[in-house]
Amino acid sequence: MALDEKILKNIIEDVLKEMNLDSIPKKESMTSISEAANPDSKLVVTEVGDVEKGTLPNEVVIGVAAAFGVHQTKTITGIPHDKVIKEIIAGIEEEGVKYRVVKVYRTSDVSFVAHDSAKISGSGIGIGIQSKGTTVIHQKDLFPLANLELFSQAPLIDLDTYRKIGKNAAKYAKGESPAPVPVKNDQMARPKYQAIAALLHIKETEHVDMNKKPQLLKVDFK
Amino acid sequence: MKKSKRFEVLANRPVNQDGFVTEWPEVGLIAMNSPFDPKPSIKIKDGKIVELDGKARAEFDMLDTYIADYAIKVENAEKVMSMDSLEIARKMCDINVPRKEILDLTLSMTPAKIVEVVGKMNVLEMMMAVTKMRARLIPSNQCHVTNVKDSFVQIAADAAEAALRGFDEQETTVGVARLAPFNAMGIFIGSQVGRPGILTQCAVEEATELIMGMRGFTTYAETVSVYGTEPVFMDGDDTPYSKTFLASCYASRGLKMRFTSGTGSEVQMGYAEGKSMLYLEARCLYVTKGAGVQGIQNGSVSCVGVPGGVPGGIRAILAENLIAMALDLECASSNDQTFTHSDLRRCARSLMQMVPGTDFICSGYSSTPNYDNMFAGSNWDAEDYDDWNIIQRDLKIDGGLQPVDEETVVAARNKAARVMQGLFRELGLPEVTDEEVECATYAHGSQDMPDRDQAADIKAIEEMMAKKITGVDFVKALNKAGFPDVADSIFKMLKQRIAGDYLHTSAIVDENFHVISAVNYPNNYRGPQTGYQISEDRWEQIKSIHNAVSPEDVK
Amino acid sequence: MNQELLMKQIVEEVMKAMSGNSSITTKDDNCKLQKITADNYPLGDKMADNIFTPTGKKLSDMTLQQVLDGQLTAEDMRISPETLELQAQVAESVDRDALAANLRRAAELIAVPDDRLLEIYNALRPYRSTKEELYEIAEELEKTYGCSINATFVKEAAEVYSKRGRLRRD
Repeated sequence: MALDEKILKNIIEDVLKEMNLDSIPKKESMTSISEAANPDSKLVVTEVGDVEKGTLPNEVVIGVAAAFGVHQTKTITGIPHDKVIKEIIAGIEEEGVKYRVVKVYRTSDVSFVAHDSAKISGSGIGIGIQSKGTTVIHQKDLFPLANLELFSQAPLIDLDTYRKIGKNAAKYAKGESPAPVPVKNDQMARPKYQAIAALLHIKETEHVDMNKKPQLLKVDFK
Repeated sequence: MKKSKRFEVLANRPVNQDGFVTEWPEVGLIAMNSPFDPKPSIKIKDGKIVELDGKARAEFDMLDTYIADYAIKVENAEKVMSMDSLEIARKMCDINVPRKEILDLTLSMTPAKIVEVVGKMNVLEMMMAVTKMRARLIPSNQCHVTNVKDSFVQIAADAAEAALRGFDEQETTVGVARLAPFNAMGIFIGSQVGRPGILTQCAVEEATELIMGMRGFTTYAETVSVYGTEPVFMDGDDTPYSKTFLASCYASRGLKMRFTSGTGSEVQMGYAEGKSMLYLEARCLYVTKGAGVQGIQNGSVSCVGVPGGVPGGIRAILAENLIAMALDLECASSNDQTFTHSDLRRCARSLMQMVPGTDFICSGYSSTPNYDNMFAGSNWDAEDYDDWNIIQRDLKIDGGLQPVDEETVVAARNKAARVMQGLFRELGLPEVTDEEVECATYAHGSQDMPDRDQAADIKAIEEMMAKKITGVDFVKALNKAGFPDVADSIFKMLKQRIAGDYLHTSAIVDENFHVISAVNYPNNYRGPQTGYQISEDRWEQIKSIHNAVSPEDVK
Repeated sequence: MNQELLMKQIVEEVMKAMSGNSSITTKDDNCKLQKITADNYPLGDKMADNIFTPTGKKLSDMTLQQVLDGQLTAEDMRISPETLELQAQVAESVDRDALAANLRRAAELIAVPDDRLLEIYNALRPYRSTKEELYEIAEELEKTYGCSINATFVKEAAEVYSKRGRLRRD
């Protein structure tokens, strides 16, 4: 909506003023690309503790839901969670933007996971991912159930789409207005997957802890 | 084991691509009659409900509190609650008991009681009850108008066609949320080209939807969701109190509105609290009633894969429609979202509402091919138009649609697209090209449409909304663009909000802008030859399919 | 009680607006408070001379040409509290008391500007406000906009949110 668009634009303008784009170490981001984008590297994620609100205007926060990578390890179509994260990171780094990964415990709703992540993010841009794969790109000043881009049909999200999601989120963080990732639609996804999606979501929700703050996840490539 | 050829054939049938699960009552994965559902009870002290369905006031959650304080008529409640549920169920499907008499009972019951009552009925008895309990005399239908490219030009053309085909309400939504205002303009204006008086909405986030209503981009709203447990209500980012306030916001701007709920949403969202889907849906309906909202879209809706996957789920969906009607609410009865690969299953599911007729049989028949349906596919789509029409003709039922001729449809689609072209030119919005107009005129779906520059459209929308453009600006621009007739229709639709007649239960607007609702056309069904009867003219319309061979044609 | 007083005022204003319409005055000359019923519905058809916008425009006079000439603006395309009260009476005449109550809450909210109305709605969503903030909103609704029914309702919500832990946590 325009109201939010306007707020978004103002914030992005402020952010651009604040950040000295030249100061972003180009070399460092180049090396990061090679790690996440390297098909042979394996990603290891460790939970390290409470997460601080970001101050870096050039970061995207990736928020994963409670069961992600631990109690559930792949999406509804069987894509391993570490590959999902790797692609999103690679997409973000391609744009020369930094990332942090957090786990949101207080809710399993993908919009709130994304919105909480956006609120932690220094750029105000966050990505929320449920264990079953449903993903949202969010901005902190939007309504929680609004979004910049929503990928509601988890069975249709492939690794290429995750990469594009990371890339677009990074572009929003830089104050650009990218063309949205092309929307996909399959009317037979519901009959095939919905009952199973419900089971997966119930199981994710079992790990929700209303009183636990978002936790920072340390990401290593091996 | 040697494989049976018969079993191999069966395994490959479409129905076996559907996802089925067994019941799991402990987490609420059960359609109705769960052993964990509460037993009906009520206690009233000094005119206040102090016990509801086995819970004392001190244990009430937010929904219990709200329902106890707003949704139940207390005067006769204790008497009604002591009545035998089977006896009430029998009255509900008995043609000798008038609708009014049923309402006197149902409006004084608790959620657990009404669930117990409908739990005594089979689907045929429920259909009998729906015939009687539907609020509006005349059944109607609603469609979805969307596409995967968010082409508002195609939306306008599809809306014009859908209006000619008979849909009284039309709903759009988005692939990309920020494109909502253009889609809302496309459906609003396009529909009026097809048939003046069509009500239109754009399903997006609650606050955004209200802004578009206030500014005259839409004439009603429906995606105002309520849920049957407190945690899911919170994940839906609302409370019964905020939703009630929102309902009053809509009415204060003279806008028609209904809530949305449906079986399976709580289990889908992970917090069913071990109750059956139907019991939780009943709680949604009581919240709706308490909020003083005129109606509901229900029938599982987008969660249909969940009840669709468990035993008795389609029966539960009919039961929830019936409960809505028994609470005197307008019922837009779903039949809108895909739940099966099987044509037999999807037709069987829809007959439950199509045969008795509801206020809106589908709350989203896809007016496009399903690949363009951005509600993730509808149970019926544009490729089923002739099937729907012929089922109406076969059974002599009024499902709200009628056959149309190609020439009229093509002309209306073309005009709708040209109207959008002129409107966008006059409002200084990004160009609608002649190619887009031509493609939209003849398109089946967005595969036949050129791409638009979405980033440019988003930027233009941002500016347009910042300038606070309203429906009144559309009226002026349409007149300037050389479409005074369309300008007049938009003006008259905006004028509806001044009198507010369409705020009443089950309201639709006819081609002369007269409101038809449950106030001036109440359902008065009392058995054969009463209630809604298909007129001779209407029957002529329904039965006139273009491919019927007449005796004169056979030489 | 404030609510009753407000209702009385609304009814009086409505009756003023309706004066002279024979279809809604009773045969009994003494009775001034004849209620509107389903018989008067649709009001836009049957009572268009008695329906006014909040800006004072008469429904039956409003034309497309006036929009084109700039005499009618978006501000004129709105419902008035008096009309909503009439519609509430129609709802009551067909036993829809909850709907009537909603229309009466809505009649009050006409006075609240669009942007503020949206903010208040958002403030009522879960975890958005403290109890004090909701009470301030209730007071604003009551004092600034004369929305006494809504003010009571917001205070009631504040109490329920407090009990259920749905207030803002910082």
